[in-house]
Amino acid sequence: MSLHPMYARPRDLEQASQLLASLSSGAVIIAGGQEIMPFINYGVMMPDVYVDIGGIKALKGVNVNDDEVSIGALTVHRDIQSTEDIVERLPLLAYAAQQIGGGWQVHNRGTIGGNIVSMHPLYDIAPALLALDADVELLSDKGLQRMSLLQLQNDSSHGLGSSSILTKILVKTMLPNVLWGYYKLKNSAGAYGSANAAAVIQMDGEKIKSIRIVIGAVSETSVVISKALDGYLGGAYTLEIGRAIEKVCIDAIDEPLSDQQGDGVWRKAMAGIAARRATEMALSNLTTSSIKR
Amino acid sequence: MIEDKKESESYVGKSIRAKEARAPLIGKAKYTNDYTFSGQLYAHILRSPHAAAKINSVDVSGAKKVSGVHLAICGQDVFNHTNGITDHLNPAIFGGKSTRLPCMAVDEAWCYGQPVAIVVAEDERTARYAASRIQVDYTPLEPIIDVEKAVAKGARSVVPGWEDNTLIYVPFMNGDTQAAFDAASHVITTDVKIHRFSSQPMETRCYNAIWEHDTESITLYGTCQNPHPLRLVIAETLRMNENKIRIIASTIGGAFGLKMHGHPEEPLICLMAKLLGRPVKWVESREECLLIGAREQQHKVEMAFDSDGVMVGLRDNVLANIGAPSACPGWGMVFLTGLTMPGPYKVENIDVHMNAVTTNKPSWNAARGYGKESTAIALELAMDNAARQLGISPIDLRLKNFIAKDSFPYNSPTGLVYDSGDYSGVLLKALETIDYQGWKDKQAAALIEGRYLGIGVAFELTPEGGTIPGTMVAGYDSSTVRVGPDGTVRVLTGITSPGTHNATAMAQIAADELGVDIAKIEVLQGDTNASPYGFGNYSGRSTIVGGGSVALAAQDVRAKINAVAAALLEVEPDTLNLVSGVFSSSAKSDATLTFAEVCYASYTRAYDVAMCIDPPLEATRTFKPPGIRHTPDENGRINPYPSYSNAVYVVVCEVDTDTGKIDLLSLAAAHDCGKVINPILVEGQVCGAFAMGLGGALSEDIQYDANGVQLTKSFKDYVMLRMADIPPIGVAHHDCPNPDNYLGLKGAGEAGVGGSAAALVNAVNDALEPLGVLMHEMPLTPSRVWSAIQNANNGEGVN
Ligand SMILES: Cc1cc2nc3c(=O)[nH]c(=O)nc-3n(C[C@H](O)[C@H](O)[C@H](O)COP(=O)(O)OP(=O)(O)OC[C@H]3O[C@@H](n4cnc5c(N)ncnc54)[C@H](O)[C@@H]3O)c2cc1C
Repeated sequence: MSLHPMYARPRDLEQASQLLASLSSGAVIIAGGQEIMPFINYGVMMPDVYVDIGGIKALKGVNVNDDEVSIGALTVHRDIQSTEDIVERLPLLAYAAQQIGGGWQVHNRGTIGGNIVSMHPLYDIAPALLALDADVELLSDKGLQRMSLLQLQNDSSHGLGSSSILTKILVKTMLPNVLWGYYKLKNSAGAYGSANAAAVIQMDGEKIKSIRIVIGAVSETSVVISKALDGYLGGAYTLEIGRAIEKVCIDAIDEPLSDQQGDGVWRKAMAGIAARRATEMALSNLTTSSIKR
Repeated sequence: MIEDKKESESYVGKSIRAKEARAPLIGKAKYTNDYTFSGQLYAHILRSPHAAAKINSVDVSGAKKVSGVHLAICGQDVFNHTNGITDHLNPAIFGGKSTRLPCMAVDEAWCYGQPVAIVVAEDERTARYAASRIQVDYTPLEPIIDVEKAVAKGARSVVPGWEDNTLIYVPFMNGDTQAAFDAASHVITTDVKIHRFSSQPMETRCYNAIWEHDTESITLYGTCQNPHPLRLVIAETLRMNENKIRIIASTIGGAFGLKMHGHPEEPLICLMAKLLGRPVKWVESREECLLIGAREQQHKVEMAFDSDGVMVGLRDNVLANIGAPSACPGWGMVFLTGLTMPGPYKVENIDVHMNAVTTNKPSWNAARGYGKESTAIALELAMDNAARQLGISPIDLRLKNFIAKDSFPYNSPTGLVYDSGDYSGVLLKALETIDYQGWKDKQAAALIEGRYLGIGVAFELTPEGGTIPGTMVAGYDSSTVRVGPDGTVRVLTGITSPGTHNATAMAQIAADELGVDIAKIEVLQGDTNASPYGFGNYSGRSTIVGGGSVALAAQDVRAKINAVAAALLEVEPDTLNLVSGVFSSSAKSDATLTFAEVCYASYTRAYDVAMCIDPPLEATRTFKPPGIRHTPDENGRINPYPSYSNAVYVVVCEVDTDTGKIDLLSLAAAHDCGKVINPILVEGQVCGAFAMGLGGALSEDIQYDANGVQLTKSFKDYVMLRMADIPPIGVAHHDCPNPDNYLGLKGAGEAGVGGSAAALVNAVNDALEPLGVLMHEMPLTPSRVWSAIQNANNGEGVN
């Protein structure tokens, strides 16, 4: 806690990483600032040193290597929504990023890295990335490390934000026959989601071959549901199956959030509704090309 | 006969864009926080984290050690320098309780967020940081948060020494209600719960107090609606002379009653400036702004009807959770809720009991509607419920029970005298505006597809321009009109603007009365050293009394100008014409003079042609609306309002029965505010009221945990509607001019929060009627609507 914080703007990753290793826990990484500036302005956070990573080139840009899309941690929401490689290869992610609230300021300055590191239960990026089984790359004084986003979400010792840096997000290109859907239930236009669901479905002709659903905004962390849905594979989608998926997703929520967005009983029920609606959206043939840029 | 500009050149009645709206739009307006002075210091207030606690000690030494801190003091020190804050409306005048209202808690904190200590430092960060170094030793007490708990026998008194927690109980009784209920064919009971929602202006409160060494006086730049009355409060609280205080209310970014005075920070920041001899500024955070409550009321409405559906009796028992005592006028809303019963309905027999109950929640302040919105919510929800139970359409039931158009002036059973109105006409116009029948057809078609559309209507009667005897809530106001030697006009008025641009309405009136171009008029508001004594804005009064007083003053000045023009042209004044700034006379075809030439002569030729007038070209006049009556009638009742505006709101919505989410499809309002001075200004108020009322009915909710700790701290939790939520709004005017006021004016600024909220609830109940859902508890959040659907279907859901 300091009244007179220092500000550092490292030029490259190495400098940044060394700086963070040399500082005590009073350091805080700042990227787009959309998350932490309100806390700083209201005095909730008074760090000793701001480490502004905004100037580090290695954290920027979207690249494709073979079938893997690599997204720099500093990529802002606006670019996630509109960069061709993301829109074409990861339409689910582009679409989920469009659902982010907060208006132009948040879209133009908020980064995908900052969104992930915040680990806010009501956000949209994590459910989409988890549905796509994304990996992340972290840099700390122990070097580079690659792990799945799911693992990162469940591991609280990652040190992100003060001692390690999230460098990039790595996602496999979605296969052409993969259907996807994303449903965000908001109480009103200015509210955060009360239940978000991402669905990724592979079809074999008329039959469902695989299905993976991720529920966000209903519990402390996003919930990935795939095995529990195995019983509904192999047949065509019907309303009954939709209801059954709804039920599975409701049952998958053990400890629903209960906050000003709505109580736990409702949140749990909404996990099911959001899942069914995301599934229906996927099956209503919404493909890559129909996403609005 | 003096011929002015042709009809087409007059301004009143036209949609004139507000000149003062430009700066806020482009981000250049100077709000209170935009003023900073040399030597400026900043204050931060440490607030109680407990709803109720004994304060054993406050140790400010830690704060004093922080470099950059100029002052850190606790409640006891402030107490020693001040009197209790003067009540905006002292409940004791009306038979209620009162207590000393300190600027800061001294030995007991009575609500979450009550100021406990204050730090003044070089900058805001330092002040805040230093405040976190203050040690307060509390012994928490069991808080009283629920109103039922507060009125329970043996409940602890929130205010030590009071024998119970009822600040004031006011009955409104007329006729023989018991007999009416006994004889009635139907009695319909509706329990209505209105939650705590307030008004959240974009600009939060800000006070910047300056100690003027030359005159040993205080200048306060403050977000305040009533500068002159606030001056008296500060003087009394700080034990100074009233003429040692100057208040300047700069551009205000929304007020809605929340910036009416009585707030502890007003005298507190002035005291800091006085103690330090330096300018001290305090800016309210959103979290602090959300402390201020309003409207939390529960009603038990009983309506008795005869076999024809005519209401013969009305009962209501109301408990209002007004939070901790405060010098702000919030509690008065409870009084007004009762006074406005039974609204637009013709029923003589009423038995209404209002209880304003003190609890350990933070206090209320006034909020748009000032209790009258709650009357509308309670009555209109109950009317729809009655219509449903009686099997009559809600439209027909209202038409059957409205006060008829030819019964005005109408004496209400609470003693009010409604000036004018055509309630059925307003309702029919609102239905036409929304295409009621068209939506009814769409609703029926949608239901076949399993979609639930609903249409709700609600009436709101809004007495406006109120005044309470013996208080600084006056019914009249004053303005000065000054025409300069170049023919330009300065209007100074006691009326302030909360951001509604009433200055433009006053300029329109002045321009028409003087016969000049509106571009020549400047209106100055809000500076107690410049404006005539006035009471500011509240109660939809600004254009009624501001406009009325400007008109009278302008007429006086115009008479002087005419006299000089006639002298210069050597004609009789009644032969003069003034067209496009040029005087001519029907008695002399060739001679003309410009308006400016006449004004210059009025100033410079006081000993010849301008002998006939008293220079300068200036007049100060007061408009005292004649409809107000403060001498009690035989029943001891007064009529504190000069005008009774009224409106009907219609909401069409669709309910997603899977989620409980409500989508708004169409909105309309028909409004009677008497003569419309400027349609854009009035329609802006109607649309804004819709956004507030709907936001309140759908999502805006200030919540507390069981210990009385406030959970709602930012706009993340207090979610107001956005443009994307609100469909286009159809607005129709249905004007019945007020027979008593200048140009027939009634207020236009306060109405609509209750009517639009009630229309929404009625629309949702209409949509879900096929499912047997009936809700009278606000807000209608998706989770609440969803649970109601689940319960109605015994957990089966809707398929
Ligand atoms: C009004 C508003 C509405 C919003 N609505 C939504 C919404 O609907 N859905 C949604 O998903 N999100 C929403 N957001 C959140 C927004 O997406 C995030 O705030 C934003 O993405 C954070 O990115 P940033 O770069 O601004 O983060 P910063 O504020 O700079 O940082 C956030 C945190 O992450 C850390 N950090 C940042 N980058 C890195 C990195 N590369 N490595 C390690 N640590 C890092 C910081 O130390 C800090 O702790 C909203 C935000 C606002 C303000």
